Amino acid sequence: MIGLALGAVLVASIVVAVTIGPASITFGEVWGSIGSHLGLGASPLPPLRDGIVWELRLPRVLTAAAVGAGLAIAGAVMQAITRNPLADPYLLGLSSGASLGAVSVVLLGASLLLPVAAFLGSMVALGLTLALASSLGAITPTRTVLAGLAVSSLAGAITSLVIFWTATGDSYREILSWLLGSLAGARWPAVAIAVVALVVAGIPIMLSGRLLDAFAFGDVSASSLGVNVPATRWGLLAATALLTGAMVSVSGSIGFVGLILPHGVRLLVGPGHRALLPLSALVGAVFLLWADTAARSLFDPRELPVGIVTAIIGAPIFALLLGRRRSET
Amino acid sequence: MSGLEASRVRILAGSTLIVDGVDCTVPAGSFSALVGPNGAGKSTLLRTLAAVHKPASGSVSFDGNELLTAPRRERARIVAFVEQDTATETAMSVASVVALGRLPHQSLWGEGPDAVVARSLEATGTTAFADREFATLSGGERQRVMLARALAQQPSLLLLDEPTNHLDIGAQLDSLDLLRSLADGGMTVLAALHDLGLAATYSDHVIVLRDGRVVAAGPTVETLTPALLREVYGVEATVLTNPVTGRPVLAFSRLE
Repeated sequence: MIGLALGAVLVASIVVAVTIGPASITFGEVWGSIGSHLGLGASPLPPLRDGIVWELRLPRVLTAAAVGAGLAIAGAVMQAITRNPLADPYLLGLSSGASLGAVSVVLLGASLLLPVAAFLGSMVALGLTLALASSLGAITPTRTVLAGLAVSSLAGAITSLVIFWTATGDSYREILSWLLGSLAGARWPAVAIAVVALVVAGIPIMLSGRLLDAFAFGDVSASSLGVNVPATRWGLLAATALLTGAMVSVSGSIGFVGLILPHGVRLLVGPGHRALLPLSALVGAVFLLWADTAARSLFDPRELPVGIVTAIIGAPIFALLLGRRRSET
Repeated sequence: MSGLEASRVRILAGSTLIVDGVDCTVPAGSFSALVGPNGAGKSTLLRTLAAVHKPASGSVSFDGNELLTAPRRERARIVAFVEQDTATETAMSVASVVALGRLPHQSLWGEGPDAVVARSLEATGTTAFADREFATLSGGERQRVMLARALAQQPSLLLLDEPTNHLDIGAQLDSLDLLRSLADGGMTVLAALHDLGLAATYSDHVIVLRDGRVVAAGPTVETLTPALLREVYGVEATVLTNPVTGRPVLAFSRLE
């Protein structure tokens, strides 16, 4: 029921967000344009305005929704598998690793490999973070976040360096959009990458809800319930890295979506993953869609990287979550 | 032969030998206690008997089914394991914790709480707080909920690691009475117990572990003798009879 309501909110948000922007376009015109491209009659808009809807705003809004959904799922899974309420692809370094992978192949001119490189980058970063955290002793949530900070700082610095040395012209802007996350360049290919990743990695993850529930009491407990712990853990972490890699390859590293939205959804529907995962995806989609709409329209004609918006909202909530755990170090 | 049979079980932690060539049997439908000094390897052995920890060598079977090589879900329908300390970060309700026990019986998008969950809550006296959050329960209540989860697996063999740890005496007796009645109902129960007195009072059989080896095993009354306790624990023990229950009671004093 909540799912259907959220689905309706998402569809409405997509249509409304497309109407928002410097060129004023109405609701009906948006429907008309979308309908015409899906083969339902002619577009009510002149070609230029139709292009704004179909070539610029709609793919950007859809990318924002897909990336938001993917990051929220990734966060929820990581929180369950690492039994760490602070886990998130951005905080644990996956996003920065994916950015580095993506930037490297873009500059080498092998853009076709973009999602693959981003996936490998996020896998390597995840491996490094977990290895670093475990070298500090027992893997506690706080240690994992510290290790993630080290990994993401390093990957971020290398990303900046790579762009700085190789790119020409407007490279500062490009650095910013990879490090802070931006959907400014999202067109239909970005939509395709993000949606394919959601289907390929997101759906198997969502079907694993009960397995994730079994992790609530730790590995021994999950194993005694008949769960293949290593296969499940590494399979789901790989799916998460794939999801993160694909999302980062179209948007740069956008922070805090994976951290805060699953927590919010848990407050509403409880910790059961069969409800938590799909609802987090829907809420993540709506959230990032509006965050991006705010990023591109609040300070019109200037545009903020959307990662700034999510960080401004997310960082205080992160501090709050951290405060709740101050008994542990 | 039916019941739990382990043979030549060797368990390593890293390169350290924790359990060395253990053979033990637990007769079907009995309540058996696994006892031994700290560090004897009780928890490690239990985890291996529950097949969640792979031994370096050896075999474990129940009613003729090899447990270590059985498919995981099939195994989880035969054996349930209650760990010593259970904690969770998540805000799960008691009912959903117990419903996890249905996992080996249901598909992944399975039916959720069913009649077995309700019966397990009933049997452990936890129905009243089915809707409460697990993390808000007392230690004794949590222990009962984890036992309910184990019962929801509908196991033939129930393994428990220190089920009376951190419980007050009333809760300890409740918990052991419940295990006793499960065994009387045909379930095979093996519990690692720290308290020799409780082991003597409640168990049919006892397995005494020291330094990763079985030093004695058999019917409780015949096995927990003063001579054995002196050898294993270095204490003087006197076996008395509880005037109320007629069961053996152990009284301890230092060796002179």
